[in-house]
Amino acid sequence: MKVRGIGIGSMVYGVGYGFSRPDFASAEVEIAPDGTVTIWSGASELGQGIRTVLSQIVAQEFGAAYEDIRVISADTDKTPDSGPVSASRSTYVQGNAVLAACKDLKQELISLASELMGVESNLVEIQNGQIAAKDKIGKIISFSKLASEMHVQGRRTHGFGWHNNRTLDVDKNTSQGDAYSSYAWASQLVEVEVDTQTGRVKILRLASATDVGKAINPQLIEGQIEGGAVQGLGFALMEEMQVEQGVFNNANLSTYLIPTAADVPPIDSLIVEVSDPSGPYGAKGMAEPATIPTTPAILNAIADAISKRVRYSLASPENVLKVLGKIDGSGKEGFLLLEDIPYPVA
Amino acid sequence: MINNQKDVLMDLVINNKHISIRAGGGRCLLDFLREDLSLMGTKEGCGEGECGSCTVLLDGKAVLSCMTPMERAIGREVTTIEGVGRPGNLHPLQQAMMEEGGVQCGFCTPGMIMSGVELLNRKSNPNRDEIVEGISGNLCRCTGYRKIITAIERAAEKMS
Amino acid sequence: MSDTQEIIEIKFADHRGYVPIGSSVIREDALAKVTGQAEYSGDISRPGMLHGKVLMSPFPHALVKHIDTSKAARMQGVHAVLTAKDIPGENVFGIAIADQQVLADKKVRFVGEPVALVAAEDPFIAAEAVRSIKVEYEPLQGVFDPLAGIKEDAPRVQEQGNILLHTKVRKGDYLKGFADADVVVENVYRTHGQDHVPLEPEGGIAWIENDGVLTIYSSSQYVFRDRKQVARVLNLPVNRVRSVNTTVGGGFGRKDDVTVEILVSLLASATLKPVRLVYNRHESMMTQTHRHPTITRVRTGATKEGKLTSMEGVVYGDTGPYSSLGIFVIKKMALHLGGPYYFPNYKCDSISVYTNNPIAGAFRGFGIFQSAIVHEQQMDELAAKLGIDPLEFRLKNCLREGLSFSTGQVMNEACGIAATLERLKEYMAEHSLRFSRNMEVV
Repeated sequence: MKVRGIGIGSMVYGVGYGFSRPDFASAEVEIAPDGTVTIWSGASELGQGIRTVLSQIVAQEFGAAYEDIRVISADTDKTPDSGPVSASRSTYVQGNAVLAACKDLKQELISLASELMGVESNLVEIQNGQIAAKDKIGKIISFSKLASEMHVQGRRTHGFGWHNNRTLDVDKNTSQGDAYSSYAWASQLVEVEVDTQTGRVKILRLASATDVGKAINPQLIEGQIEGGAVQGLGFALMEEMQVEQGVFNNANLSTYLIPTAADVPPIDSLIVEVSDPSGPYGAKGMAEPATIPTTPAILNAIADAISKRVRYSLASPENVLKVLGKIDGSGKEGFLLLEDIPYPVA
Repeated sequence: MINNQKDVLMDLVINNKHISIRAGGGRCLLDFLREDLSLMGTKEGCGEGECGSCTVLLDGKAVLSCMTPMERAIGREVTTIEGVGRPGNLHPLQQAMMEEGGVQCGFCTPGMIMSGVELLNRKSNPNRDEIVEGISGNLCRCTGYRKIITAIERAAEKMS
Repeated sequence: MSDTQEIIEIKFADHRGYVPIGSSVIREDALAKVTGQAEYSGDISRPGMLHGKVLMSPFPHALVKHIDTSKAARMQGVHAVLTAKDIPGENVFGIAIADQQVLADKKVRFVGEPVALVAAEDPFIAAEAVRSIKVEYEPLQGVFDPLAGIKEDAPRVQEQGNILLHTKVRKGDYLKGFADADVVVENVYRTHGQDHVPLEPEGGIAWIENDGVLTIYSSSQYVFRDRKQVARVLNLPVNRVRSVNTTVGGGFGRKDDVTVEILVSLLASATLKPVRLVYNRHESMMTQTHRHPTITRVRTGATKEGKLTSMEGVVYGDTGPYSSLGIFVIKKMALHLGGPYYFPNYKCDSISVYTNNPIAGAFRGFGIFQSAIVHEQQMDELAAKLGIDPLEFRLKNCLREGLSFSTGQVMNEACGIAATLERLKEYMAEHSLRFSRNMEVV
C-alpha cells in the first residue's frame, strides 16, 4: 500500500557569529579610467556566488556595467581580510563591506559629476545605472565617462570599506541578551508517498518559502534553495555515517550514498522578502536556512502519512519498516528512554 | 611519473587532434589526461567510479576515466571538456548551463557536461526521465540537479 | 575639459549592461567553470613538485609508543618523512580553540588522525612510503557515545575532561510555564552524522617563494585564518605566510578550518620544494569534520487554546575528540531548540562532549539543522494533541515583531517567519493540499 502525507518544517537561524565575537569584513574597490571596476575581497567563492553578488552591488552603486566588474578574491597578499565564509554571512557581512567601499568613493564621484553638470552635489544621484541630476532632464553622465574624468583630474579612485557586524555577548548563566544582529527565516512543505510494504519514501513535491530579505540574484537564491533542499533530503532518506567503535565504516562514495538526479523531486522556490535594514538592500543570510527545514518537513510528512513517527532522523526503508512494526525494531533507532537522559538542574 | 609499469606508446586522437607520445603505462586514463597532457578540466572526485566527475567520451561514449585503463584509449578518440567548446565557441549545453544556473562550485560541471553532451548526441530531444537517467551517474552536491536538467532541455531545444 | 558638453549630452540608451539589484545575471565564474578552465587545488602544479601523503591512525584511542620511519626515509624518491617531533612550532590547531594536534604526538584520538607525513616524487612512492612506516600503538578504552562520555569514570579523551562546553539558556519560569500548560509533549530524539561530501576533496600546494615567503594555494573558506594557523605550527611570523584561495569545489563548512594547509606547509618547508597534497575521497571522509550526531530530550507545553507556555530541553552533541567548531555548533542548539516560536518560559541546556568518534564541526545548518528536527516534530505532536492544524498552530505561536527569542532578544521588523508560513498557506490552497488525509490509498 502507498500512502501520502504532507509535512511542514520551519526554522530560525541567527546569522553571523553573534555573542560579540569578531564578525567583520573589509573590501576595496578601484575605478579604472575606462569605467571598469576591480573589487578586492577576502571572501572565498565556494560556489555560492559571492563574487557575482559583490559585482552586482558595485554595478548598482556606481551605475557600472555588471560585465565590467572584476573580483580578486581571498589572497592574503592582495585582498583585505573579509572574515570567513560561514554562518550564512557572505552577502550580509561581506556584501555590506563592499557597499561601504563603494560609499567611500561615491562622494568623489558625485562631487565631480556635480561640477561637470553644473548642479549642486545634493542634486546628483546614481539611478538606473546613470549619474543624473535630479529634476534636470537630460543632465546625465555615464559612469564610464565619469571614471575617465576622475583619472584626468587626478581624483581618488580607490575606495576602502569595513563593516563590523557588532553584536553583544549574552549573560553567562542564562544566555539572555541580544546575541545576533540578524535572523533568517524559512519554512518548507513536503509531500511524501510511503510504500508501507517496502518502507520506501518518495518525495512528491517540495516547496521552500525562504525569507531572504532581498533577492539580489534570484537565480543564485533558487540554486541555494534547491541544492539545500537536496542536501536535507539526502540526510533524511539515505545519508548516514555508519560509525561503530569509532570506525567510520562507509567512508567512501560506494557505500555512503548522496542524492543523484533521480532522487530529486519537483521543487518550488518561494522567495519571501521581509527586508532587514541591517543587510545590503535588505538582504539576509539564506544558504543554511535553505537546507534546515527539509529533514523535519520530510519526517513530519511521513508521520502524517503513516501516523507513526520515525524519531531517529534517518527515514531509510529499514527504519520506516521498523516503526511500522514490519521488522524488528531493536537497534540504534530504538529510542533511549526519557529517564536515560536527565535534565540538568535549573 | 615514476612507475613500475613499462612505457607505452599512446597513439590516439584527443579533442580532434592526433597525438603520439610515450608515457608510463598502467595508470588510469584520468591520470594520463591530467598528468601527461595537462588537460586539467577532467576532475577526480572519488577515484572509484562513483561520482562521475571524471567523465570523458571514448569514441563518443561516456566513460569514467578514473576506471578506464589508459591503454584502452590507444587508437581511439577521446573527448574531454576542453574539446567540447571554448570561450567564444561554446557548445549549446555549456551556454545553457551558464544561463540556467546549472553551475555552482563547478567541480562536477565538466563531467556533467560530458554526460549531457553524450546524451544530446544520442538523442536529439530527450525527455526529462531520459535526461535524469543520462546524468544519474554524475553527482552534484550544490545545485540539487534541477537547473542542470533544465539546461540540458534548453540545449536540446537549441540544437534541434 | 573639452568634452564636458559631450559628457552631459550622453543619452540614457548609451549606457550598456545596467542590471538592477534583483537581476539573475549569469555568474561571473560560469564561463571558466563550463569550459573546464577553473583551477581547483589539485589542478595547480609547480616545477619539481612533490606529492604529499598522510599516514592515518587505525585506532580510535591509543597511545603512540614508537614510530619507525627509517624504511620510508630510505626509499628512492622520498624527500621527507615527518612526525610530530619534526614540527618547528606548536603542534596544534583549531578553528575555535586550539585543541587539535597536527600530527599525533603521544596519543591518537580518532580513526584517521594523521600520524606521519611523506613527500615523494610520485604519488605511488608516497603511498608505498606511508605503508612502510611502522607505528607501535597501545590501544586505550574509548568514548563512543556522548552519554557515556559524561560519566565520572569515562576514559578521558582530552586531559581536562570530556565536556567541551555546557550552555544554559534560562528565560522566565519554566516550571510555572508547565503548570500553566494543558498539554505537554515529551520525547527523545537522535540525529545521525552526515558527511559534507564536497565534490572536490580537500587539497592544496605549498612552496617557499624566492623572498622566503611560504606560499599556500588551497581550497579554503578563510585564508586569513589558515595563514595564522600555519604560522603558529611552522614557527613563522604571520606576514611571512601567504595563503591564497583556489577555485573551491564546495565547502558547506568542511573547509572552514584548515584542512591540508599545515601539512603541505610542513612538507614544503622540510624539502624546500613545492608539495601538493590532495586527499582522496576516503582520506577526506576519515580525516575531516562531519555533522554532529546529537541526542536530545525535550518537553514542550501549550494551553488548550494552543499557546505555547514552556519548553525544557537538553542536548548532547558528539563532537569527536577535538572541538573544531563543535563548541559553537552545540552552543547554538541551546538557543535555537525552541525554533522560530515565542516561548514565555524556556530552559535549555546543550552539552558538547568529546568522544573518539569522527570529528564533528561546521556543516551547513550548524546545529540549527538538528534543532529543527526536534522542534518541528514537537510542534506537530502538540498540534495533533490539541486538534489544531499544524500550519495554523505555527502561525499562532511564531515569533513576530515585539516578541522575544529564547535569549530574550526582542524581534524587530525583519522577523519573517510568519511571512514564510503564510506563503506556504497560499501554496497549499493553490495546490489543494491538506494534512491528515488518513492513510489515503494511492
